[in-house]
Parts: sequence; structure tokens; C-alpha cells
Amino acid sequence: MVRTLLTAGIVVSAAAFLAATVTADDISARAKKLHFSSIVVDTHDDTTQRFLDGKFDLGPRSATGSIDIPRMKEGGLGAIFFSIWIPSKVTGPEAVNRAMTQIDAVREQVRAHPQDLMLATTAAEVREARKQGKIAALMGVEGGHMINANLGVLRSYAALGVRYMTLTHSGNDEWADSSTDKAVHNGLTDFGKDVVREMNRLGMIVDISHVSDKTFYDVLETSKAPPFASHSSCRAICDAPRNMTDQMMKDLAAKGGVVQINYHVGFLNQEYRGKATPEIAKELGEEVRKHCAGDDEGCQLIEGERITREFVAQGKLPKVEYTAIIEHIEHAVRVAGIDHVGLGSDFDGANMPFGMEDATKLPKITEALLKKGYSEGDVRKILGENTLRVMTEVERVSRELHGGK
Amino acid sequence: MTRFRRCFAACLCVCGVLVAGSRLSAPASADDVAERAKKLHFSTIVLDTHDDTTQRFFSKGYDIAKRNPDGHVDIPRMIDGGMNAIFFSIWIDGRIMGPPAVQKALDQIDAVHENVRKNSRDMVLCRTAAEVREAHKQGKIAALIGVEGGHMIGNDIRVLRMFGDLGVRYMTLSHFYNDEWADSSTDKPVHNGLTDFGKDIVREMNRQGIMVDISHVSDKTFYDALEVSKAPLIASHSSCRALCNHVRDMSDDMIKALAAKGGVIQINYERSFIDQAYKDASDKLTGGVVAQFDLFKKECGGDQECFGRKMAEKQKQAMEEGKLPHVSWERIIDHIDHAVKLVGAEHVGLGSDFDGADMPEGMEDCSKLPKITEALMRKGYTDEDIRKILGGNTLRVMEQTEKVSRELQAQ
Repeated sequence: MVRTLLTAGIVVSAAAFLAATVTADDISARAKKLHFSSIVVDTHDDTTQRFLDGKFDLGPRSATGSIDIPRMKEGGLGAIFFSIWIPSKVTGPEAVNRAMTQIDAVREQVRAHPQDLMLATTAAEVREARKQGKIAALMGVEGGHMINANLGVLRSYAALGVRYMTLTHSGNDEWADSSTDKAVHNGLTDFGKDVVREMNRLGMIVDISHVSDKTFYDVLETSKAPPFASHSSCRAICDAPRNMTDQMMKDLAAKGGVVQINYHVGFLNQEYRGKATPEIAKELGEEVRKHCAGDDEGCQLIEGERITREFVAQGKLPKVEYTAIIEHIEHAVRVAGIDHVGLGSDFDGANMPFGMEDATKLPKITEALLKKGYSEGDVRKILGENTLRVMTEVERVSRELHGGK
Repeated sequence: MTRFRRCFAACLCVCGVLVAGSRLSAPASADDVAERAKKLHFSTIVLDTHDDTTQRFFSKGYDIAKRNPDGHVDIPRMIDGGMNAIFFSIWIDGRIMGPPAVQKALDQIDAVHENVRKNSRDMVLCRTAAEVREAHKQGKIAALIGVEGGHMIGNDIRVLRMFGDLGVRYMTLSHFYNDEWADSSTDKPVHNGLTDFGKDIVREMNRQGIMVDISHVSDKTFYDALEVSKAPLIASHSSCRALCNHVRDMSDDMIKALAAKGGVIQINYERSFIDQAYKDASDKLTGGVVAQFDLFKKECGGDQECFGRKMAEKQKQAMEEGKLPHVSWERIIDHIDHAVKLVGAEHVGLGSDFDGADMPEGMEDCSKLPKITEALMRKGYTDEDIRKILGGNTLRVMEQTEKVSRELQAQ
């Protein structure tokens, strides 16, 4: 979940370069074959927020947002991490209660669509879902504030099927610093390190998106299993604290981890970041509030996306094409290596670039990468195999630690 | 958890006439029966549907793996007593509601999971009757979880489902106080039984395969639950009102209605639920005990372990001073026998309330359980009927609850 435009960036003009533009109808037979025979894993989708209004259902094709079963099928999305998210400012038992209701909402959607969805908690279950022709539904908790500084709650989430936790959201929590807050813990506290160790034991992937650079390095030092960044892009291209520096990506790769490229325009494109000033953010916020209740996150994300596009049409914000995603993937592959890059769209939680409006557009990534000369094996790694490898490794570490009790 | 009842709820009771249980007669030679009973007991699944041992997990001095000098349940004594299936109760004060109640309940569910994990050589977490049978086959104790009080779902049906997904297999609809949607037997009725939302809760429990527990609830709530539920109900820890007139116990009519729907009354061993003289004397002491309760609360804060210990000491002292009569464990047999005579051996089971109530003499802890088997055998109960009472009936209700859940989920 990106708080739309609220983090205005440092203005640095950068030349966005566009190459290998592909339209939805323009996917080669080779790309189609490759894409639909690969397990495409998306590690971050905020669609969960939409479940909470009691009306949205994943079954029918929706006119809004980016994710539903028909569009996942059309886009060949084989595994999706539904994000459990509440604002950083909600803490304590209230945060736990609200996180639980979102976990329930995901599980209820899976129960309601047993023909199309299957809850998965391991890499093997993701592959099994594919074998059965179903989409694997997974869960990630986006922000350590939701455990209420309580390892028991963390374990309960794991027992309910949560497979990763982002250590913070946009604010610091009780035991970890966020990249978009003032540092108070100097990274991870001792308890924060215990949280990471317990996640290792439970087989939960440690997600370092959103956390401060120091928290990231503390995690690298503490974690026995490879961490990943569930939805972060490259700071070298777009200088957002939410993105990763080249050095961070190298260090993450050395530990076996994966950076999952986020499609949010404000993380992809430096010019966009520069033009998304606090004034624009305020104006956008006001527009959104005209249409949505203060606590209706589902409405806010849909309206935010719609109004942002209006701002682009009015010339208030630059137009960013989906090819910027390819640019970030390529950069990350160059820096971190082919085994350490994946996809973490932030669908239904961020502003998508033109040409990547929803899950149906995903084959364009495969097409673009093939055109860039990537081998089919390498494309499969980026689409999902790298993430499945991290999951398998995290599970192995968990088994080892369980064995030690 | 029964403790607070004496302080706050005992005064609600109307004293009834003491009905003495039938005495034991020995149909065979003592040694022969003792031997046969032992064999039967230790080859059977002995399932206790209510143990407040969970509270002890939060005390530093307690270790379920070791023989403890106090309390009623730990692994060595479970092995001694042949108690090989146990429902750990998740319980918090009924006046705590909303998100804090959910958080505290989660802490306790986690504590059960963690204690089972740390003792995985001896125990295994079970969710179904088949899993309990499998645990027995492997020589392990089956650990199950029940939530004692609907207030812990924070008035949110989604939290109920999450509890189910975390392994909770029954929920008592209320504790000592009414919750948002069900009246308790020890509170002033405000909902006239179950509210519409309360009925939805029961339906959702059916769908999730969570047994509906009607211990603690008001009579009207009981009848509402009986009408709504598609699966049989249990009273996880209640005894017979005909023998001891306490609102926490069940009237003969209620027991009959429960049985007609395939349910089971799990006999509670708490002294004031099984013995009229004790209950009457206890009621007389209430005023003093309430003052003591406040004192204990001050001394112990939120430490339930400390509170329970002080309460027990107070009971012991009152007994020594002659203010409370002695109660024999044989009252438990009287209650089992009364219920069996009323509705048959298919509808009676064991719900001790160990670690949450005051045990009668001779049933000081779970190591004494084989005495129940022997006493029933001496009364002339068949082996088959004894097996049902010890655990078979509860497994049957679990299986039926699972079947109803499968049917509802397929719809």
C-alpha cells in the first residue's frame, strides 16, 4: 500500500527512456506460451482492502481496480500475495483485531471460490495449485505494528497462513525503523531481532520493503533465511527512500534474497516523483475525500487511482509508461543478478503506469523481456521462480530450526 | 473457570432439596473389579472437555512437563490418570470485551500451541475426532482448545472464524456475564436468550465445525441455541440441578432436551455444583468471600494463578473451621449416574473443570480419574457404556459436528 503521492520526492530531473513498447494485443506466440506456462507470482497486492466493504467479490470481472479472478486468469497470474494492511497509526489490540478480520476476509474469498483459488503456504502448495489449474492465494502482513509487539500474535498469523511480514509500514513500529519516518531505534531493537529469528523459525519470509536502510542491514545480519523486498524498486533510477540502492540490492542478493519490483509510478519515475509535490498531494487527498469515507481504504485506492489519471490528463503529473517497470527489472538484474529479481506490483494499492492498468497486462512484461534478449529460463525466474526458491529456502531453514527446538 | 462464581453468583441460587445419590454396591470381588477397571480405563480414550490449565502457562513456576506440587493437571499426572485427551480452556474475565479480549484470547491460544509444540513427544494438537483417535494410537495426549466465553470474539463473527482456523473446537456462548449477544446463567438477562446476531454466531459455529457449548448460559439461551444449532451441543462442564440446585447446572428437562438433540452433558467436579450442603454453606459465606476476593485481587493483581491459590487456601481454612462441609469425589459418580438414568449412557461425559474449580476429596487431581471407571464398573455399568462416558460420546459429537460443517460448507 502506497499512500498515494504523500511522500513527495527530492526533485532530480532524470531522462525516462522508453523502449520496446508493447500493446496488450501485441504479445508474440512465444511470449504467450512462455508466460502462460510459467508460474507468475506477484508478492504484493492490496486487493484485501476491497474485500472489507462487504460488496466486492473476486469472482466477477470488476470495472475498477486491478485484480479479480477473471483478470488474474487472463493475465496468467498464478500466485498472489494478498496484503494484510492497516495504517501504521493503528496500534495495540485494535491493530491485531483489524489484521485478523483481513486474514479472515482473504480466507473467506478462497472458501467462496474453491474452483479458482487455493490457499497456499509453501512453494510446493503453489506448484500444486498450478497443477490443479487454480490460482495460489497467499498472505503477507504489511507492517510489524500489527503484531502488537507480541510474538504470540506473530505465531497466530503464521498459523493462519501468513507467509511474510513487512517489518514496518510507513511509520516506525515499536521495534523497527521505517524508511519514511524519523529513525528512533537505530534499525532493529533487540526485540526486533527476536521477531526476525521467530519468523525464521516459523518459516515466514522477512520482508524488508518499507524499512529504513539500517533496519535492512540489521535484518541481513540477523536472519538465517533469505529476506525479500516484497514491493520495492531501484533508487538509482528513482530516488525514493522506499526503493533500494544498488549496494542494498547486491547485499540482499548475496544473502539469496529477491527484490520484487514495485510498479508504483512514484517509485518508478524520477520526474513523476519531482512533480508530485505536497500541494498536488493535498489536492489529490481533497478530491479523494469527496468520494470516500475516511476509513474506506478500498474506495480511497480506487478513487486515488482514477483522480491521479485525471491529473495526468490535465498535465499536472507526467505520464509514466509501463516500460519503466522493465527498466527497473533490467537495472536490478544488472546489479543483483538474474536470480534476485521478481514482481511485487502493489496492484490495488498504488498508481499504476500506463499500459499496466491491471493483471491482464502482465504478459507484456514477458514479451518485453524476451525482446530485450532474456532467455526463457531467465524470464521464468523473474516471473516467479526466484520467489519460489526463496520460499523453499525459508521453509528449509524453518525445518532446521524446528529440529533444534 | 468456576472460581468467581462463588463470589458473585452463588447468591443468585435458590437452595433446593438435597437429593442423595445412590450408594455404590459391589457386584464382583473387589480385586477382580479393580483389575478389570484399570485395564479398561487405560485402554480407553479418556477425554476431559474442560481444563483451565491454560491460565497456568502464564505462571513462571508452572511446567506442564513436570509433576507439579499444586494444581490438577500436568503431563506426568495425566499419564498416571490415563487422561489422554484434554480441552484446554481459553478464558478471560467476562468484563473484558472488544479488541483487548481478542488479543488476550490469542495469547492463550498461542500458549496452548507453544506448550504442545515444546512437548511434542507427549502431546499433539488435535482438531477432529479422527486426530484424537490417531493421537491415542500413537500413545500421545490429544490437546484440544475450547474458548470459554463469547465475549472473546469481540462481537465479530470474523474473529470466531479465525479462532476456528487456529484450532478452537468449541466455544462456550457466555461466561459469568452476558456478552453482547447471549445471556449468562449468572447475570441479569438482557437479551432474552440469544440475540439474532447470537443465532448467526451459532450458525457460523456449525459451518466452521466448532461445537456449541451451553455451559454457563442462561436457560433461555440454552433453548435458543438448541433450536438454532444444526449440530448437537455440549455442556462442557455442568452438572445436574436435580442433585445440586445451582444455576450453572442443568435441570432434568434441559438434560433431556440436550440428549434428544444428540448432545452430551459433561459432568463438572466443582464442589458447589455437585453437593447441595456445600453449596448452601458456601452461599452463606459469600459476603466474607467477596471481601476476600477484593483483597486477593489487590494482592495478586491480574495473576490468576495467585488468585486461585489464595482462594483455595481460604476454602481450606473454612473447611477446617467447619464452615464448609467435606465433599466426597463420589458425588461425581452420583451426578453421572443421575444423568445416565435420565437420558442414557450416550449423553454423559466428563468436564472436570480441573485447575479452575475446587475439587472434591478423592479427586485432588487428574491422576485420580481411574476411580471413576472403577466406581462405574462397581455400579454395574458395561464396559461399552463406561467407554462412552469416558470419551466416546464426546468424540461422537465431534464427528457429527464435523459432518454438519462439511454439509454446510458444500452448500
